[in-house]
Amino acid sequence: MKLLEFANKGGNSTLPYPFEPYTPGEDYRGKPEYDFEKCLGCGACAVACPSNAISLKQNSEKDLLIWELNYGRCIFCGRCDEVCPTGAIRLSQEFQMAVLFNKEDLKVRGEFKLKKCKKCKRPFTTERLFNYQNEVLNSLNPSRKTDPDSGICPECKQKQAVENSAKYFHMGGKK
Amino acid sequence: MKPLYEIPEEISRENTVEKKLKHLASIKRSFFVYRVDAGSCNGCDIEIFSVISPWWDPERLGFKLVASPRHADILVCTGSVTRMMRYPLIRAYEAMPDPKIVVAVGACGCTGGIFHDTYATWSGIDSHIPVDMFIPGCPPHPATILDGFGVALGILQQKLKHQSYTDDSGKPPAPVKSIFKNLQVERDLNINCRELMGYIHGRKLYDRCMQILTHATKPDDISEVREGVENFIKQEEDPRYGECMRVLYNGVYLNWMDKFYGLKKAGKELYQI
Repeated sequence: MKLLEFANKGGNSTLPYPFEPYTPGEDYRGKPEYDFEKCLGCGACAVACPSNAISLKQNSEKDLLIWELNYGRCIFCGRCDEVCPTGAIRLSQEFQMAVLFNKEDLKVRGEFKLKKCKKCKRPFTTERLFNYQNEVLNSLNPSRKTDPDSGICPECKQKQAVENSAKYFHMGGKK
Repeated sequence: MKPLYEIPEEISRENTVEKKLKHLASIKRSFFVYRVDAGSCNGCDIEIFSVISPWWDPERLGFKLVASPRHADILVCTGSVTRMMRYPLIRAYEAMPDPKIVVAVGACGCTGGIFHDTYATWSGIDSHIPVDMFIPGCPPHPATILDGFGVALGILQQKLKHQSYTDDSGKPPAPVKSIFKNLQVERDLNINCRELMGYIHGRKLYDRCMQILTHATKPDDISEVREGVENFIKQEEDPRYGECMRVLYNGVYLNWMDKFYGLKKAGKELYQI
Protein backbone atom coordinates (compact mmCIF):
# COMPACT_ATOMS: atom_id res chain seq x y z
CA MET A 1 0.00 0.00 0.00
CA LYS A 2 2.87 2.35 0.81
CA LEU A 3 4.34 1.73 -2.61
CA LEU A 4 0.98 2.48 -4.26
CA GLU A 5 0.72 5.78 -2.40
CA PHE A 6 4.24 6.67 -3.48
CA ALA A 7 3.47 5.76 -7.09
CA ASN A 8 0.28 7.84 -7.04
CA LYS A 9 2.32 10.91 -6.11
CA GLY A 10 4.14 10.65 -9.45
CA GLY A 11 0.90 10.75 -11.39
CA ASN A 12 0.01 9.06 -14.65
CA SER A 13 2.51 9.41 -17.47
CA THR A 14 0.82 7.18 -20.07
CA LEU A 15 -0.27 9.02 -23.21
CA PRO A 16 -3.95 8.63 -24.10
CA TYR A 17 -3.00 8.14 -27.75
CA PRO A 18 -5.36 5.73 -29.51
CA PHE A 19 -8.36 7.39 -27.86
CA GLU A 20 -7.19 10.97 -28.26
CA PRO A 21 -5.16 12.48 -31.13
CA TYR A 22 -1.41 12.78 -30.79
CA THR A 23 0.95 15.25 -32.47
CA PRO A 24 4.60 14.29 -32.90
CA GLY A 25 7.44 16.79 -32.43
CA GLU A 26 8.05 19.67 -34.79
CA ASP A 27 10.99 18.08 -36.61
CA TYR A 28 9.37 14.66 -37.02
CA ARG A 29 9.91 13.19 -40.49
CA GLY A 30 6.52 11.81 -41.38
CA LYS A 31 4.81 10.58 -44.50
CA PRO A 32 5.93 12.32 -47.73
CA GLU A 33 2.80 14.04 -49.03
CA TYR A 34 2.40 14.07 -52.81
CA ASP A 35 0.70 16.86 -54.75
CA PHE A 36 -0.08 15.73 -58.30
CA GLU A 37 -1.02 19.22 -59.52
CA LYS A 38 2.46 20.58 -58.77
CA CYS A 39 4.42 17.58 -60.08
CA LEU A 40 6.28 17.96 -63.38
CA GLY A 41 7.32 14.34 -63.83
CA CYS A 42 10.99 15.35 -64.12
CA GLY A 43 12.12 12.29 -62.14
CA ALA A 44 14.61 14.06 -59.85
CA CYS A 45 13.04 12.32 -56.85
CA ALA A 46 13.34 8.89 -58.47
CA VAL A 47 17.06 9.49 -59.07
CA ALA A 48 17.62 10.77 -55.52
CA CYS A 49 15.63 8.03 -53.72
CA PRO A 50 18.20 5.72 -52.07
CA SER A 51 15.81 2.84 -51.47
CA ASN A 52 13.98 2.94 -54.85
CA ALA A 53 10.66 3.69 -53.15
CA ILE A 54 9.95 6.12 -56.00
CA SER A 55 10.03 4.53 -59.43
CA LEU A 56 9.45 5.83 -62.94
CA LYS A 57 8.49 3.69 -65.90
CA GLN A 58 6.66 3.91 -69.23
CA ASN A 59 3.50 2.01 -69.95
CA SER A 60 3.38 -0.59 -72.71
CA GLU A 61 2.01 1.85 -75.33
CA LYS A 62 4.83 4.29 -74.45
CA ASP A 63 2.53 7.32 -74.27
CA LEU A 64 2.36 7.63 -70.48
CA LEU A 65 4.98 8.02 -67.78
CA ILE A 66 4.00 6.25 -64.57
CA TRP A 67 5.32 7.71 -61.31
CA GLU A 68 4.92 5.45 -58.30
CA LEU A 69 5.72 5.88 -54.62
CA ASN A 70 5.66 2.93 -52.24
CA TYR A 71 5.39 3.99 -48.59
CA GLY A 72 6.28 0.45 -47.58
CA ARG A 73 9.77 0.92 -48.96
CA CYS A 74 10.26 4.58 -48.03
CA ILE A 75 12.92 5.29 -45.38
CA PHE A 76 11.84 8.92 -44.76
CA CYS A 77 15.23 10.42 -45.54
CA GLY A 78 13.64 13.41 -47.29
CA ARG A 79 15.92 13.47 -50.30
CA CYS A 80 12.95 13.67 -52.66
CA ASP A 81 11.80 16.71 -50.68
CA GLU A 82 15.26 18.25 -51.02
CA VAL A 83 15.53 17.90 -54.80
CA CYS A 84 11.91 18.62 -55.84
CA PRO A 85 11.94 21.86 -57.89
CA THR A 86 8.25 22.72 -57.40
CA GLY A 87 7.55 21.36 -53.92
CA ALA A 88 5.26 18.58 -55.15
CA ILE A 89 6.55 16.15 -52.54
CA ARG A 90 6.98 17.29 -48.96
CA LEU A 91 7.60 15.48 -45.68
CA SER A 92 4.57 15.99 -43.43
CA GLN A 93 3.76 15.34 -39.77
CA GLU A 94 1.46 12.44 -40.65
CA PHE A 95 2.32 9.24 -38.77
CA GLN A 96 -0.82 7.07 -39.01
CA MET A 97 0.25 4.75 -41.80
CA ALA A 98 -0.69 1.23 -40.73
CA VAL A 99 -2.45 -0.78 -43.45
CA LEU A 100 -4.67 -3.78 -42.86
CA PHE A 101 -4.68 -6.66 -45.39
CA ASN A 102 -4.30 -4.66 -48.62
CA LYS A 103 -0.73 -3.90 -49.65
CA GLU A 104 -1.88 -1.70 -52.57
CA ASP A 105 -2.96 0.96 -50.03
CA LEU A 106 0.71 1.74 -49.47
CA LYS A 107 1.13 3.01 -53.01
CA VAL A 108 0.64 6.39 -54.71
CA ARG A 109 0.51 6.50 -58.49
CA GLY A 110 0.52 9.33 -61.01
CA GLU A 111 0.34 9.18 -64.79
CA PHE A 112 1.86 11.82 -67.07
CA LYS A 113 1.41 12.36 -70.78
CA LEU A 114 4.66 12.04 -72.69
CA LYS A 115 5.85 14.55 -75.29
CA LYS A 116 6.88 12.94 -78.55
CA CYS A 117 9.78 14.13 -80.68
CA LYS A 118 8.74 15.94 -83.87
CA LYS A 119 11.19 13.95 -86.00
CA CYS A 120 11.64 10.43 -84.69
CA LYS A 121 8.20 10.25 -82.92
CA ARG A 122 9.78 8.76 -79.83
CA PRO A 123 8.85 10.12 -76.35
CA PHE A 124 11.59 12.10 -74.64
CA THR A 125 10.01 14.16 -71.83
CA THR A 126 6.67 14.83 -70.18
CA GLU A 127 4.36 17.46 -71.61
CA ARG A 128 4.19 19.26 -68.29
CA LEU A 129 7.96 19.64 -68.04
CA PHE A 130 8.14 20.90 -71.64
CA ASN A 131 5.41 23.50 -71.07
CA TYR A 132 6.88 24.53 -67.72
CA GLN A 133 10.28 25.23 -69.30
CA ASN A 134 8.67 27.43 -71.95
CA GLU A 135 6.62 29.31 -69.36
CA VAL A 136 9.61 29.98 -67.12
CA LEU A 137 11.77 31.17 -70.02
CA ASN A 138 8.96 33.40 -71.28
CA SER A 139 8.42 34.92 -67.84
CA LEU A 140 12.14 35.73 -67.58
CA ASN A 141 12.32 37.25 -71.04
CA PRO A 142 8.96 38.41 -72.44
CA SER A 143 10.43 39.29 -75.87
CA ARG A 144 11.79 35.76 -76.33
CA LYS A 145 11.12 34.10 -79.68
CA THR A 146 10.26 30.42 -79.67
CA ASP A 147 13.15 28.20 -80.69
CA PRO A 148 12.53 26.52 -84.07
CA ASP A 149 14.23 23.39 -82.74
CA SER A 150 11.97 23.06 -79.68
CA GLY A 151 10.05 19.81 -79.50
CA ILE A 152 12.95 17.77 -80.88
CA CYS A 153 14.64 15.18 -78.72
CA PRO A 154 18.34 15.63 -77.80
CA GLU A 155 19.43 12.74 -80.04
CA CYS A 156 17.74 14.19 -83.12
CA LYS A 157 19.13 17.63 -82.28
CA GLN A 158 22.62 16.15 -82.18
CA LYS A 159 22.15 14.45 -85.55
CA GLN A 160 20.72 17.63 -87.04
CA ALA A 161 23.68 19.68 -85.85
CA VAL A 162 26.14 17.18 -87.31
CA GLU A 163 24.28 17.12 -90.64
CA ASN A 164 24.14 20.91 -90.82
CA SER A 165 27.82 21.35 -90.09
CA ALA A 166 28.73 18.60 -92.60
CA LYS A 167 26.66 20.40 -95.23
CA TYR A 168 28.36 23.66 -94.32
CA PHE A 169 31.84 22.21 -94.79
CA HIS A 170 30.80 20.43 -97.97
CA MET A 171 29.68 23.72 -99.47
CA GLY A 172 33.09 25.18 -98.75
CA GLY A 173 32.04 27.39 -95.87
CA LYS A 174 29.14 29.05 -97.73
CA LYS A 175 25.63 28.95 -96.34
CA MET B 1 8.23 -20.28 -60.69
CA LYS B 2 7.62 -22.43 -57.63
CA PRO B 3 7.12 -20.38 -54.44
CA LEU B 4 9.96 -20.51 -51.93
CA TYR B 5 7.72 -21.83 -49.19
CA GLU B 6 4.42 -23.53 -49.85
CA ILE B 7 1.98 -23.11 -47.00
CA PRO B 8 0.57 -26.50 -45.95
CA GLU B 9 -3.09 -26.94 -46.81
CA GLU B 10 -4.28 -27.44 -43.22
CA ILE B 11 -2.74 -24.08 -42.28
CA SER B 12 -4.20 -22.14 -45.24
CA ARG B 13 -7.65 -23.70 -44.59
CA GLU B 14 -7.65 -22.37 -41.01
CA ASN B 15 -6.27 -18.93 -41.89
CA THR B 16 -8.90 -17.24 -44.04
CA VAL B 17 -9.65 -13.53 -43.56
CA GLU B 18 -13.10 -14.24 -42.11
CA LYS B 19 -11.70 -16.57 -39.47
CA LYS B 20 -9.02 -14.04 -38.50
CA LEU B 21 -11.55 -11.19 -38.18
CA LYS B 22 -13.87 -13.42 -36.17
CA HIS B 23 -10.99 -14.35 -33.89
CA LEU B 24 -10.07 -10.68 -33.36
CA ALA B 25 -13.68 -9.72 -32.61
CA SER B 26 -14.61 -12.65 -30.36
CA ILE B 27 -11.46 -12.92 -28.25
CA LYS B 28 -12.26 -12.62 -24.53
CA ARG B 29 -8.70 -12.26 -23.20
CA SER B 30 -5.46 -10.40 -23.91
CA PHE B 31 -3.74 -10.64 -27.29
CA PHE B 32 -0.46 -12.47 -26.91
CA VAL B 33 2.24 -11.09 -29.13
CA TYR B 34 5.41 -12.88 -30.15
CA ARG B 35 8.19 -10.96 -31.82
CA VAL B 36 10.55 -12.35 -34.48
CA ASP B 37 13.64 -10.45 -35.58
CA ALA B 38 14.22 -11.80 -39.08
CA GLY B 39 17.46 -9.96 -39.69
CA SER B 40 16.61 -6.35 -38.92
CA CYS B 41 19.13 -3.66 -37.95
CA ASN B 42 17.50 -3.48 -34.45
CA GLY B 43 15.97 -0.06 -35.12
CA CYS B 44 12.45 -1.48 -35.32
CA ASP B 45 13.06 -3.70 -32.28
CA ILE B 46 14.11 -0.72 -30.17
CA GLU B 47 10.93 1.10 -31.25
CA ILE B 48 8.83 -1.96 -30.32
CA PHE B 49 10.49 -1.97 -26.89
CA SER B 50 9.72 1.72 -26.52
CA VAL B 51 6.09 0.94 -27.39
CA ILE B 52 5.78 -1.54 -24.50
CA SER B 53 7.15 1.07 -22.10
CA PRO B 54 4.68 2.78 -19.69
CA TRP B 55 4.72 5.90 -21.87
CA TRP B 56 2.68 4.22 -24.62
CA ASP B 57 1.50 1.15 -22.71
CA PRO B 58 -0.29 -1.18 -25.15
CA GLU B 59 -1.11 -3.52 -22.25
CA ARG B 60 -4.09 -1.30 -21.39
CA LEU B 61 -5.41 -2.32 -24.85
CA GLY B 62 -4.62 -5.95 -24.06
CA PHE B 63 -1.40 -6.56 -25.96
CA LYS B 64 1.08 -8.65 -24.02
CA LEU B 65 4.45 -9.98 -25.14
CA VAL B 66 5.03 -13.70 -24.66
CA ALA B 67 8.18 -15.78 -24.88
CA SER B 68 7.00 -18.60 -27.10
CA PRO B 69 5.21 -18.65 -30.47
CA ARG B 70 3.03 -21.52 -29.19
CA HIS B 71 1.22 -19.05 -26.90
CA ALA B 72 0.92 -16.27 -29.45
CA ASP B 73 -2.06 -14.87 -31.38
CA ILE B 74 -0.05 -12.23 -33.20
CA LEU B 75 3.38 -12.61 -34.78
CA VAL B 76 5.23 -9.29 -35.06
CA CYS B 77 8.04 -9.61 -37.61
CA THR B 78 10.82 -7.14 -38.29
CA GLY B 79 13.65 -7.28 -40.78
CA SER B 80 14.06 -8.10 -44.42
CA VAL B 81 14.38 -11.92 -43.97
CA THR B 82 18.04 -12.79 -44.31
CA ARG B 83 18.95 -16.22 -45.64
CA MET B 84 19.75 -17.57 -42.17
CA MET B 85 16.58 -16.21 -40.51
CA ARG B 86 14.20 -17.56 -43.15
CA TYR B 87 13.88 -21.02 -41.58
CA PRO B 88 13.41 -19.81 -37.95
CA LEU B 89 10.71 -17.41 -39.22
CA ILE B 90 8.83 -20.23 -40.93
CA ARG B 91 9.23 -22.43 -37.84
CA ALA B 92 7.79 -19.72 -35.60
CA TYR B 93 4.89 -19.26 -38.05
CA GLU B 94 4.08 -22.96 -38.15
CA ALA B 95 4.32 -23.29 -34.37
CA MET B 96 1.62 -20.66 -33.78
CA PRO B 97 -1.93 -21.82 -33.05
CA ASP B 98 -4.53 -21.06 -35.76
CA PRO B 99 -5.68 -18.50 -36.80
CA LYS B 100 -2.29 -16.84 -37.18
CA ILE B 101 -2.15 -13.05 -37.46
CA VAL B 102 1.11 -11.70 -38.88
CA VAL B 103 2.25 -8.06 -38.63
CA ALA B 104 5.22 -6.77 -40.64
CA VAL B 105 6.89 -3.82 -38.92
CA GLY B 106 9.25 -1.42 -40.66
CA ALA B 107 10.22 -0.74 -44.24
CA CYS B 108 12.32 -3.92 -44.35
CA GLY B 109 9.48 -6.08 -43.09
CA CYS B 110 6.95 -4.58 -45.52
CA THR B 111 8.86 -4.71 -48.81
CA GLY B 112 12.54 -5.23 -48.08
CA GLY B 113 13.22 -1.52 -47.62
CA ILE B 114 16.63 -0.26 -48.58
CA PHE B 115 17.93 -3.87 -48.66
CA HIS B 116 15.32 -5.03 -51.17
CA ASP B 117 17.82 -5.89 -53.91
CA THR B 118 20.80 -7.26 -52.04
CA TYR B 119 21.83 -10.86 -52.59
CA ALA B 120 21.65 -11.80 -48.89
CA THR B 121 17.96 -11.10 -48.22
CA TRP B 122 14.59 -12.38 -49.40
CA SER B 123 13.17 -8.81 -49.26
CA GLY B 124 10.10 -8.71 -47.08
CA ILE B 125 8.16 -10.95 -44.72
CA ASP B 126 5.40 -11.44 -47.30
CA SER B 127 7.81 -13.18 -49.69
CA HIS B 128 7.39 -16.23 -47.44
CA ILE B 129 4.37 -16.03 -45.14
CA PRO B 130 1.06 -14.17 -45.69
CA VAL B 131 1.06 -10.81 -43.88
CA ASP B 132 -2.13 -9.19 -42.53
CA MET B 133 -0.87 -5.82 -41.39
CA PHE B 134 1.87 -3.56 -42.72
CA ILE B 135 3.37 -0.85 -40.50
CA PRO B 136 5.79 1.21 -42.62
CA GLY B 137 8.51 3.44 -41.23
CA CYS B 138 12.27 3.29 -40.91
CA PRO B 139 11.93 2.74 -38.00
CA PRO B 140 8.22 3.35 -37.35
CA HIS B 141 7.37 5.89 -34.67
CA PRO B 142 5.91 4.21 -31.54
CA ALA B 143 2.66 6.03 -32.33
CA THR B 144 2.61 4.37 -35.77
CA ILE B 145 2.95 0.91 -34.21
CA LEU B 146 0.24 1.74 -31.69
CA ASP B 147 -1.88 3.03 -34.58
CA GLY B 148 -1.49 -0.38 -36.19
CA PHE B 149 -2.76 -2.09 -33.02
CA GLY B 150 -5.65 0.40 -32.89
CA VAL B 151 -6.62 -0.31 -36.52
CA ALA B 152 -6.49 -4.05 -35.86
CA LEU B 153 -8.83 -3.66 -32.89
CA GLY B 154 -11.17 -1.30 -34.76
CA ILE B 155 -10.56 1.70 -32.44
CA LEU B 156 -9.05 3.73 -35.29
CA GLN B 157 -9.74 3.99 -39.01
CA GLN B 158 -7.08 3.13 -41.56
CA LYS B 159 -5.84 6.48 -42.91
CA LEU B 160 -3.68 5.44 -45.85
CA LYS B 161 -5.60 4.69 -49.06
CA HIS B 162 -4.38 3.83 -52.54
CA GLN B 163 -4.09 7.08 -54.52
CA SER B 164 -4.10 7.06 -58.30
CA TYR B 165 -4.00 10.15 -60.50
CA THR B 166 -4.75 9.48 -64.15
CA ASP B 167 -6.16 12.78 -65.47
CA ASP B 168 -3.06 14.59 -66.70
CA SER B 169 -4.00 17.73 -68.67
CA GLY B 170 -0.37 18.61 -69.43
CA LYS B 171 -0.84 21.97 -67.68
CA PRO B 172 2.21 22.79 -65.54
CA PRO B 173 2.12 24.68 -62.22
CA ALA B 174 2.57 28.44 -62.48
CA PRO B 175 6.23 29.53 -62.34
CA VAL B 176 7.45 31.58 -59.37
CA LYS B 177 7.32 35.34 -59.87
CA SER B 178 10.10 37.57 -58.63
CA ILE B 179 9.36 40.53 -56.35
CA PHE B 180 12.58 42.22 -57.53
CA LYS B 181 11.88 41.71 -61.28
CA ASN B 182 15.00 39.52 -61.27
CA LEU B 183 14.64 35.87 -60.29
CA GLN B 184 18.34 35.56 -59.52
CA VAL B 185 17.91 37.41 -56.21
CA GLU B 186 15.40 34.85 -54.98
CA ARG B 187 17.57 32.03 -56.28
CA ASP B 188 20.59 33.42 -54.45
CA LEU B 189 18.59 33.84 -51.24
CA ASN B 190 17.21 30.31 -51.49
CA ILE B 191 20.62 28.73 -52.09
CA ASN B 192 22.19 30.64 -49.20
CA CYS B 193 19.30 29.68 -46.87
CA ARG B 194 19.85 26.01 -47.68
CA GLU B 195 23.61 26.33 -47.30
CA LEU B 196 23.22 27.93 -43.88
CA MET B 197 20.48 25.80 -42.33
CA GLY B 198 19.83 22.75 -44.48
CA TYR B 199 16.74 22.16 -46.58
CA ILE B 200 14.06 21.82 -43.89
CA HIS B 201 15.06 24.76 -41.67
CA GLY B 202 16.41 26.63 -44.69
CA ARG B 203 12.93 26.56 -46.21
CA LYS B 204 11.48 28.07 -43.03
CA LEU B 205 14.21 30.73 -43.07
CA TYR B 206 13.47 31.52 -46.72
CA ASP B 207 9.76 31.91 -45.94
CA ARG B 208 10.61 34.35 -43.15
CA CYS B 209 12.92 36.31 -45.49
CA MET B 210 10.10 36.62 -48.00
CA GLN B 211 7.75 37.70 -45.22
CA ILE B 212 10.05 40.57 -44.28
CA LEU B 213 10.57 41.59 -47.92
CA THR B 214 6.88 41.52 -48.82
CA HIS B 215 5.96 43.27 -45.57
CA ALA B 216 8.04 46.30 -46.59
CA THR B 217 6.26 48.74 -48.94
CA LYS B 218 9.05 48.20 -51.49
CA PRO B 219 11.44 45.23 -51.31
CA ASP B 220 14.34 47.44 -52.47
CA ASP B 221 13.77 50.08 -49.78
CA ILE B 222 16.90 49.30 -47.74
CA SER B 223 16.13 51.20 -44.55
CA GLU B 224 12.70 49.61 -44.20
CA VAL B 225 14.02 46.08 -44.83
CA ARG B 226 16.79 46.74 -42.34
CA GLU B 227 14.22 47.73 -39.74
CA GLY B 228 12.29 44.53 -40.45
CA VAL B 229 15.41 42.38 -40.06
CA GLU B 230 16.36 44.09 -36.80
CA ASN B 231 12.86 43.54 -35.43
CA PHE B 232 13.01 39.90 -36.51
CA ILE B 233 16.35 39.37 -34.72
CA LYS B 234 14.95 40.93 -31.55
CA GLN B 235 11.70 38.94 -31.55
CA GLU B 236 12.98 35.52 -32.71
CA GLU B 237 13.46 33.09 -29.83
CA ASP B 238 15.72 30.71 -31.78
CA PRO B 239 19.09 32.52 -32.11
CA ARG B 240 20.06 30.46 -35.19
CA TYR B 241 17.38 32.08 -37.32
CA GLY B 242 18.37 35.57 -36.18
CA GLU B 243 22.06 35.05 -36.91
CA CYS B 244 21.39 33.49 -40.32
CA MET B 245 19.03 36.33 -41.20
CA ARG B 246 21.78 38.82 -40.35
CA VAL B 247 24.25 36.95 -42.57
CA LEU B 248 21.73 36.89 -45.44
CA TYR B 249 20.98 40.59 -45.11
CA ASN B 250 24.64 41.65 -44.96
CA GLY B 251 25.84 39.24 -47.59
CA VAL B 252 23.16 38.57 -50.19
CA TYR B 253 20.65 41.40 -49.93
CA LEU B 254 23.12 44.30 -49.71
CA ASN B 255 25.23 42.78 -52.53
CA TRP B 256 22.25 42.70 -54.83
CA MET B 257 21.17 46.21 -53.87
CA ASP B 258 24.75 47.30 -54.62
CA LYS B 259 24.49 45.67 -58.04
CA PHE B 260 21.11 47.30 -58.76
CA TYR B 261 21.69 50.83 -57.45
CA GLY B 262 25.45 51.07 -56.84
CA LEU B 263 25.73 51.81 -53.12
CA LYS B 264 28.91 53.63 -52.21
CA LYS B 265 31.41 51.75 -50.09
CA ALA B 266 30.77 53.92 -47.05
CA GLY B 267 27.02 53.59 -47.70
CA LYS B 268 27.22 49.79 -47.77
CA GLU B 269 28.93 49.71 -44.41
CA LEU B 270 26.38 52.18 -43.12
CA TYR B 271 23.52 49.80 -43.87
CA GLN B 272 25.14 46.71 -42.33
CA ILE B 273 23.81 45.29 -39.09
